[in-house]
Amino acid sequence: MTGDPRWLPRFEAELVQLGLEPARARQLAGETAQQAAEFGAGTAELFGPAHLYARHLVAALSAPGDTAPRTETPPGLARGRVLLRLEGVGKRHRRTTVFADVDLTVRAGEVAAVVGANGCGKSTLLRICAGLSTPTTGTVHRTARVGYVPQDGGTAGWLTPAEHFTLFGAAARMAPRRARSTGEHLARRLAWRPDRARCAQHLSGGTRQKLNLVLGELHAPDLLLLDEPYQGFDQGTYVDFWQQVRAWRDSGRGVVVVTHLLHDLRHVDQVLDLSAAAPGPSTAPAGGGHGTGRRA
Amino acid sequence: MTGLVVAALSAREVGRRRTAVLLVIALPLCFYLVRRDLPGQSTRLLAIGVGWAVATLTVFVVNASRSLDPRLRLAGASVLDIIGGRLLAMTGIGAALATAYSALVGVSRGDLAHPWGAVLMLLLTAVVAAPFGGLIAALLPRELEGALALLIVCATQLLADPAGSAAKLMPFWSARSLGNYTVDAAPTTALWHAVLHAAATWVLCTALTLAVFARRLRVARYPEP
Repeated sequence: MTGDPRWLPRFEAELVQLGLEPARARQLAGETAQQAAEFGAGTAELFGPAHLYARHLVAALSAPGDTAPRTETPPGLARGRVLLRLEGVGKRHRRTTVFADVDLTVRAGEVAAVVGANGCGKSTLLRICAGLSTPTTGTVHRTARVGYVPQDGGTAGWLTPAEHFTLFGAAARMAPRRARSTGEHLARRLAWRPDRARCAQHLSGGTRQKLNLVLGELHAPDLLLLDEPYQGFDQGTYVDFWQQVRAWRDSGRGVVVVTHLLHDLRHVDQVLDLSAAAPGPSTAPAGGGHGTGRRA
Repeated sequence: MTGLVVAALSAREVGRRRTAVLLVIALPLCFYLVRRDLPGQSTRLLAIGVGWAVATLTVFVVNASRSLDPRLRLAGASVLDIIGGRLLAMTGIGAALATAYSALVGVSRGDLAHPWGAVLMLLLTAVVAAPFGGLIAALLPRELEGALALLIVCATQLLADPAGSAAKLMPFWSARSLGNYTVDAAPTTALWHAVLHAAATWVLCTALTLAVFARRLRVARYPEP
């Protein structure tokens, strides 16, 4: 499903206009269509306007070292205390091994991406990190203050954003007024001004995801666990989101983000390829160092 | 405090679902009006209708929050805050509905042996219905299955012989027993049996609901790195 049939030709033409070889532009357009199909969304819905996404992609591709996922902390950024450590973590559902022997260490001031094929257990791993699911094998050490943003759901359809802030604030023992003002402040950082009267079910998909993100951050966690949090974001919000991730990192928080989008990896400090930890043949590139999924 | 916020916002959520609220009001009213010529049948059916409506509402409210509740747990809320708050909200809504229908019975029926028994009958049924609906939602986490289970229980409750042992195992048997006291001037023992049955049902349903959700919403406490 690509949605607007004019989106991909526009995108390809824009890439050529920005200096890419036509063959390379065609290849990128094909990959982009494939990504949209994987999400079950239209290209315009997923990536925003074609010309903006083309510029973003060209900028991302021309950044130095963008093609190789970083496994080291960027120079100049002091590595902080360990916020999350997975050692030999595995998960089985009945007789099926979802993944096995996963190691990951995330420190304060680091962003880790979890990638892998559909069904390889990325969301399950994130739920284990959150403590919502227990690992079958291995050990987890984690900081107590954690924020979790699920892939979908996680909000109440008949409550307004302000009421969500009050509810989640109450769970974290925050005064209602403080919770609301904190929520509205965090929302503004994602270029969103919550409508006081509109219930969550009447928000667009992207705005509901912004609400999801704000709720995950409302109680100022040390570690943020984000499960494909940008679904439905337009291009501008997508850029704002990664700026926000960088701001979290710079403020000494740890971030683990599940992603399908390979061009996201330029924003992260380490990549955990979960396909490598799944049973059976895998074509995922092997990586070294902590944070790389290993085969059992 | 957190439980009260959960309760207040749950009640607000329900209040915004106007069609659902109208149907919740309509269900006991239909039961009452269809047998309004018979004092015993109409008041007992009204009470079962209130219980059925409140339990159904609770099933939907608790199930609708399935994706929200784990996040509230991670943010720091306890199971008692979350589930207790929702049951409190549904009990409040049920009590309001029972009070309104008590007024209707008071105005429209002058043929009851103990008119205040009708008030107690409706209130007890509403109070028991909230944790009973919570238990159904805990055991059957999908709305359709929960609604069908309630249909089975409430239909059996309506059809079973009130004097039989099967009827006494039903959650709203207290309404049938209080009906005997209210309409047919049964001895006061019928009143106390009803109160005891309602209290035992409430305790059992509340405890089981909280126990199931304590397991379902458990959050692993990992050691610090």
